[in-house]
Amino acid sequence: MVDFNVETRENSHVNVVNLHGYLDAHTAPELEDVFTKLIDDKKFKVVVNFEDLAYISSAGLGVFMAYVETMRENEGDIKFSNMSPKIYNIFDLLGFPLLYEFYKDEKEAVQKFNEKS
Amino acid sequence: MQNKIADNVLVKKLFGWSSTRKLQNAMTFSVILFLFRLVFPDNLSFNPLFVSLSEVLLLLAFYFITLYVLDFIQEKKHSPLSIILNAGILNALIFFILSVISPVFNDIFGRAGNNGNFLYSLAAIFLSFLFIVAMAYNFSVFRTLFFLKQKRNPSFYFNTMTGFFIAASLAGTISFLHVELSDFKTALFIVSLLLITLNSIRTSWIAFLTKKEKMYLLIISVVMSILFGINIGLSNSGNLFVTQALTQFSPALHEFLVLMMSYGCIYFSVVFFTTLFHMPTAEAFDRKAQEVSSLMDLSRLMTQVFDFKELAETVTDITMKVCNSDSAWLVSGENGELNLNAVKNIGYIEADKITSTLSKKYGLKNITSVKTVSLDKLKPSGLSPLQGETASGEALSTDFRILAVSPLKVHDEINGYLIAARKSEDPFDDDDQKSIGAFADYAAVAIEQAKLLAESLEKERMEKELDVAREIQYKILPDKTPEVENMQVSALFVPAFEVGGDYYDFFRLGGDRLGFVIADVSGKGIPAAFIMAEVKGIFESLARLIESPREVLVKANEVLRSSLDKKSFVTVVYGVLEVKTGRVFLSRAGHSPVLLVRRDVIEEVKPCGMGLGLDFSSNFSNSLEETEIKLKENDILLLYTDGIPESKNAEMEDFGYERLNKVILDNAGAPIDLISKRIMKEVAVFSQGKPQHDDITLVIFKWTKQN
Repeated sequence: MVDFNVETRENSHVNVVNLHGYLDAHTAPELEDVFTKLIDDKKFKVVVNFEDLAYISSAGLGVFMAYVETMRENEGDIKFSNMSPKIYNIFDLLGFPLLYEFYKDEKEAVQKFNEKS
Repeated sequence: MQNKIADNVLVKKLFGWSSTRKLQNAMTFSVILFLFRLVFPDNLSFNPLFVSLSEVLLLLAFYFITLYVLDFIQEKKHSPLSIILNAGILNALIFFILSVISPVFNDIFGRAGNNGNFLYSLAAIFLSFLFIVAMAYNFSVFRTLFFLKQKRNPSFYFNTMTGFFIAASLAGTISFLHVELSDFKTALFIVSLLLITLNSIRTSWIAFLTKKEKMYLLIISVVMSILFGINIGLSNSGNLFVTQALTQFSPALHEFLVLMMSYGCIYFSVVFFTTLFHMPTAEAFDRKAQEVSSLMDLSRLMTQVFDFKELAETVTDITMKVCNSDSAWLVSGENGELNLNAVKNIGYIEADKITSTLSKKYGLKNITSVKTVSLDKLKPSGLSPLQGETASGEALSTDFRILAVSPLKVHDEINGYLIAARKSEDPFDDDDQKSIGAFADYAAVAIEQAKLLAESLEKERMEKELDVAREIQYKILPDKTPEVENMQVSALFVPAFEVGGDYYDFFRLGGDRLGFVIADVSGKGIPAAFIMAEVKGIFESLARLIESPREVLVKANEVLRSSLDKKSFVTVVYGVLEVKTGRVFLSRAGHSPVLLVRRDVIEEVKPCGMGLGLDFSSNFSNSLEETEIKLKENDILLLYTDGIPESKNAEMEDFGYERLNKVILDNAGAPIDLISKRIMKEVAVFSQGKPQHDDITLVIFKWTKQN
């Protein structure tokens, strides 16, 4: 099958999650593990960078819904950045922009976190 | 094996007799001999004709008894020790008869010369028969042992020897009649003894005994050769009643008795020394034999047992036995974690500590072939405050001194280790390491096999699950489209291999209204199918209770709150058509927009609204809008799930909205069933046989009333 991988790094005290490839029902657990680990490590400020993501299915979208609550309860959030128009359209149809913050650029999203604190 | 076959073939060729037939013959000749000797007692023993006749009868009886006994002993040829033990008991009995019974008879019948006494003759005949059987048994035992584990067929040597035995025995009879010929008898006897000595060297079966059996044989063979030696002496002493009776009955039988006793004495002396010389190598031989049989056991287990645990237990068991180690365990590495399996003769915690110390000090990954490690060397040299923590210190307070570690390799990938440990300081030698390596290979294959099996079981389970999910889905979807005046309705559903959670339905509502819904549950399989079922229930009831589509969706979101988990959501378009007027009210919750085709132009109907389950606060209802469309003649409303635009081709390109819009416009004039068929055909052509990964649902309405 098509590959998917996740990597996390830190950008000025904000955790950036980079997604690559195809995020669907089969690869979503990998991303879930990453979020679980972030929460275990008490890292609640997360920017998900979508630059290299080629596809996202409904199961992939569900991952963010599952973890955003915990992040927000702990003065953190999940923000999205660098989304292609095609991927953004999927989020948009679903109504995500009403609940999540989307940024063109990862830097912008990170800044937003640091402004608040 | 070869010998047995050769023997059987020979015997069958010559006689073709079954064992009962042999017994029959043996009995017949014995009875004839018995009657003959009863009628003509021994006073005619100097008549050459009768003596010859008697001896020929004896020879025949002996031959058939031997044939019968031989079969009986052949059955036990796999445990030579028990054959020898039985022979030992028999010869002890002979010893008893010769040494104890003889004097008693001597007392009863007085010294020899009481020949005419009928009772005396009867006793002599019975004793002689006893000896015939005993000698037949002895002869069969010797023959069986002679042929045991012989690679080439040595029957020539044995047959020659047997020939000399018969000749020497008959010479005994002749010299009994003509005393001057006794030198001839002695010569034949000596040749027989020489042949016995030569043939006694064939004792290769001793090598195949275990060390314990060899020890046992060492003792038995001493006792046996002494027993046979004494019996030679006793049977040669002329003043014993039994020997006298035997000689009178048949000088040949007496001669044969002496020969057999000599055979036993020589043979078991040879066996004693051979065994003695085998003793030093007995242990090594044992180990090799055990290794071979262990490997055979393992390969048999591999084909029969698919349970990894059971195999792991066997592997560590065998490793301990064959490599003389005090304990053994298997380490399987999964996701960087080391798991201990089949831990034998060592506490789990101790084994775990040794393993982790080993892994820290050496890095288990560096061990790519069998390696021995001295635990003393693993002791931390300097106690740095961090490492001085008791964890590593305790691990090394273990009694175990030496480890042998072998990686479990399959396709150059290491997925675990087999570890054997010794308490003594004897290092694991090359042979030990080789066997550990061999067992590790088996364990590696077993782990791989267990993994593959688990995967295929999982796959099977998933396929079953999918069948169930698909069945649920088919039961939930309507089996036909509703008949509505002024309106054509078409619905097409194409399931994906993995159930995708698409749902559509129509509801006839009061006041000439038709409710319709198209929904897509996130996720796949049974979980999605269950939510689908619930969504159907919710819309069935809400559609009849609440008029406004927007309110229906708000309520549906509330109801779903309790059953949707955090990561699940449902996208829906719900609408109500007024059949008389052509007015459509619809709301969209995160679903793909509805397409309105009017005079060759496609318009996206996309009222605002987020998916059900995304949010349960007022955000949801605040986001939700309701749209009204007034349908005109030939207007087409097209509802679909994202399975269509997200269909992929081999290059992972999406079918996309542009292609969808183009097919719709190209076929806008066609009957609506044809439109959906054309769309599906385009999708199929586009995806070039790449499996459809999500359900596809397409619902089309066409308004036919002029207004």
